[in-house]
Amino acid sequence: MNTPPGLSGLVGQSVTRVEDDRLLTGRGRYVADVDPPGVLHAAFLRSPLAHARIKSIEVAAAKRAPEVVAVFTGADMARLTRPFPPFFMLPGLYNPSFPAMSADKVRHVGDLVALVVAESRYAAEDGLELIVVDYEPLPPVASIAQALSPTSEPVWEKAGGNVLYDFTDTFGDVDAIFAAADRVITERFSCHRQSNQPMETRGTVIEVDPDDSHLTVHSATQSSHLLRWMIAALTGKRSTLSSLRRFVTNTERRRGFVTAAREFIRDNAQELRRQDPAGMRAQFSKDRTSVIGVNLLGISLLGKDDYPTVKAHDIGGAFGSKGQVAREDIALAAAAIEIGRSVKWIEDRVENLTDGGQAREEDLAVSIAVDHDGTFRGLKVDITIDQGAFPGFPVGAPGFTRIIKTMLPGSYHWDGFEMRSRVVATNKGKYVAYRGPWANETWARERMIDVVARTLGLSPTEVRLKNMIDESDMPTAMITGPKIDQTMSTKKTLVRAVELMNPQAFQNDRQSAAAEGRYLGLGMACYHEAAPGHYEYWDSINPGTNLLLAERARTTVDPDGAITVYTSQMPHGQSHETTFVQIVADELGVPREDVRLVWGDTDKTPFTIGGTGGSRGAPIGGGAVRKASREVRQLIVERAAQMLEAATEDIGIVAGNVHVKGVPSRGLTFAEIAHEATVAKRDRTEPAFDVTSTYRGHTDCGWSTATHACIVEIDLETGLVKIPRYVVVEDCGPVINPAVVDGQVRGGVAQGIGAVLYEHCAYDDAANPQATTYMDYLIPTAMEIPDIEVHHLQTLSPGENDFRGIGEGGMIGAPAAITNAIEDALAPFGARVTDQYLPPTRILQLAHVIGHD
Amino acid sequence: MTTVPVAFVINGRRVEFMVEPRRALADAIRDDLGLTGTHLGCEHGVCGACTVLVDGQPARSCLMLAVQAEGADVTTIEGLAHGDEPHPIQRAMREAHGFQCGFCTPGFLMSAVALLAENPAPTRDQIRAELSGNLCRCTGYQSIIDGVEIAVRLLATTSDGAGT
Repeated sequence: MNTPPGLSGLVGQSVTRVEDDRLLTGRGRYVADVDPPGVLHAAFLRSPLAHARIKSIEVAAAKRAPEVVAVFTGADMARLTRPFPPFFMLPGLYNPSFPAMSADKVRHVGDLVALVVAESRYAAEDGLELIVVDYEPLPPVASIAQALSPTSEPVWEKAGGNVLYDFTDTFGDVDAIFAAADRVITERFSCHRQSNQPMETRGTVIEVDPDDSHLTVHSATQSSHLLRWMIAALTGKRSTLSSLRRFVTNTERRRGFVTAAREFIRDNAQELRRQDPAGMRAQFSKDRTSVIGVNLLGISLLGKDDYPTVKAHDIGGAFGSKGQVAREDIALAAAAIEIGRSVKWIEDRVENLTDGGQAREEDLAVSIAVDHDGTFRGLKVDITIDQGAFPGFPVGAPGFTRIIKTMLPGSYHWDGFEMRSRVVATNKGKYVAYRGPWANETWARERMIDVVARTLGLSPTEVRLKNMIDESDMPTAMITGPKIDQTMSTKKTLVRAVELMNPQAFQNDRQSAAAEGRYLGLGMACYHEAAPGHYEYWDSINPGTNLLLAERARTTVDPDGAITVYTSQMPHGQSHETTFVQIVADELGVPREDVRLVWGDTDKTPFTIGGTGGSRGAPIGGGAVRKASREVRQLIVERAAQMLEAATEDIGIVAGNVHVKGVPSRGLTFAEIAHEATVAKRDRTEPAFDVTSTYRGHTDCGWSTATHACIVEIDLETGLVKIPRYVVVEDCGPVINPAVVDGQVRGGVAQGIGAVLYEHCAYDDAANPQATTYMDYLIPTAMEIPDIEVHHLQTLSPGENDFRGIGEGGMIGAPAAITNAIEDALAPFGARVTDQYLPPTRILQLAHVIGHD
Repeated sequence: MTTVPVAFVINGRRVEFMVEPRRALADAIRDDLGLTGTHLGCEHGVCGACTVLVDGQPARSCLMLAVQAEGADVTTIEGLAHGDEPHPIQRAMREAHGFQCGFCTPGFLMSAVALLAENPAPTRDQIRAELSGNLCRCTGYQSIIDGVEIAVRLLATTSDGAGT
């Protein structure tokens, strides 16, 4: 069942992109390009203070302003919407329920205070100027240290402080292992706040059908189905009794719901049984109303006659940030329903930098128990994440601690591991998934391995190789549970990277550069990542989350032979239209021009709670379209066998010609076969062949892995860091389209370079954001990002669909490799790199060229 | 708000319409003229997604007012192809897998066209420097630079010229 790389056909080739026909000619359709007739434009009034009570808000003048149609305050929204529920519940977690807009209190600069809807965006923004808000400032919580202090002002009153989550996982007798090891080496690491920053900001257009009030929501979303359900659940608020009454009296809705629920439960019975009620108990102990609210949402959904249609079109990047259901989306939908007219909101860049999603701000204390020869014994980590004020929805920082916990031991042997996870609330923008949301496990571990090697007087490569899980050890398991097979080929990538970098030659270069006053350093970092991980991996994250490994796809052949594939994936730059069509065209034996991919429209695409994220595209989405297409192929072959009076096993398909093997001149086209099937069905309106199939990546779809290696050159006049060479040796299994994979890797590395050297969501002591334009938040340009060499190992796996995800890895490996190289370059000064953010001033401090603050 | 007339040529077509004096050229191009190929990424002149050519020179249409285009010759991404024949930069970027999400694309293409009009044979370093006024978050730029290099070769072998 494996597809070896380079097999005849399209998989394995860098075919040009289907998307480029429109994207290179200005004919893409992004959410900002959607303009329903008579659409109104929205602008949000956002809090200028980090933490304050709203004493009063005066909107009368704004309502009277020219072209302004309506103004909504937080109090208005409380009347029109239900609060966001605590979607993700874990033992030890309080996850606050929160409203679409804030009525009583603001919790960060940029918090939503009022919404103006007007005939134009210009008029809406004019309207904002006329709103007067009287705030009573509260003490801001601006840092992890402040949040950990029991005297800090609570961001969420019911949390009982600003520590929302505190949980310790232990594997093995860690204390005994630490006591027995030759020595224990400890270091503290700090990662700064960063932001996803897709070039397209967020945006949503709520289109209201003037005849029947049906909502069509056009949105730049990574998950159109989730957005649909949440808009249905949180807007159109009516009493619980009224919802129940409507549910009981609406037979069609009830029947549809019962059918869907039965289907879902049947598909996922095992996972549902494994859901852990401890999280709900933890939530309930602090806030009964929020758990009750979750159940009321269900009743609210049941009472709806009509759910919105969500359509996502072309999306200008996301990197995790558009997987969120935004508070803005709910407020906009509620406003559009209330006014009865279409409403459009396109976020501006200042909003995006303050409230469009931030990530990575984490402190980690790491201790490694190690023998003198560099053999790892035990690992202890204490991590604290600053989630900002509002929790990411559906999954935020607490969920990511579960992945960090599982992955932190990396590709190495350990006798014991312990991790304490804390999540704190501060008055900052929300922490969201950002390309490899768990990536600081790799940064802290790989940084720490260099620290250990330096302390023991060993080479970092020697220490890595000594402790790394070897192919001869497989199958085995990580100390945290997930099984490991040969797709975890980290050691092979490391060996190859060492060959490519030639450390001996580098030492010569370093010496000659030093003679000229230039400082060179070599850094490496290794990781494996769940892309998307197998069944047991997800079970180790949190019981029941392996629901994410199932996805449906539909393949149809119309009476005229046209092939359409419907995916639940939500492409936003990853080239699914190209790679999925490569998979399907190979499966069906047709030219790729014959296949069309449909995505993003909840009326057409199969339901999923995931969408695109978590490196699931090729392994799960690709597996689903392959499976549905394989089943369609079987139907085509069976029909052709009848028509050609041959046995099915004698039928071959080449370039769309379905024929008895050896007799291609007497073959049939898909159109001829589809026509025949249609005549037999006596229904010309339906597809001739139509298969919806569920694919479940239980045992395969395992690990992606890589070693990143780079050389840095540091100028101690300016503190600037150049990267003259950057090498990635990666293994994501068979590559569908090498140019697409290379692009994913390089884009991720570029974000990692930005993270270390340029990008920082800085906040001052009063939690005021300091980087709210691109003059302050520095996205690296073509001058800062070097050419990046990408080398592929293509280890096959025993599974059915052995593609593995590659979208996140570049960003996971890069910060560790770069910071390791910088410490190596600054070794002559005894530098110890413990911060991930290393702008020129920090470099000069590390080299003692300038003093510390 | 009062409006004033403005007239200019866009993609070879003369247009005349009423705008508020404060209206950005980008908004006029996208919303008044319906040419949504030009994108707005930051609206403060840094990201370059909104780059168009004004009298052959690259300009940030988010920082320029529509009234400032009075009498000018404006080219947007929709004006690059000659009928069904794509511009060499479009062919080259397709071959190079230049872009991913496509949002920054119009700005990069217009900047590249301006660069090649001025210097038909730039070095890789010159391409990097000239395109450093445009931000891309997806690619790490390498494929975009590769695409410009391919365009240089295509232009050298055709009589199409780098101009618009």
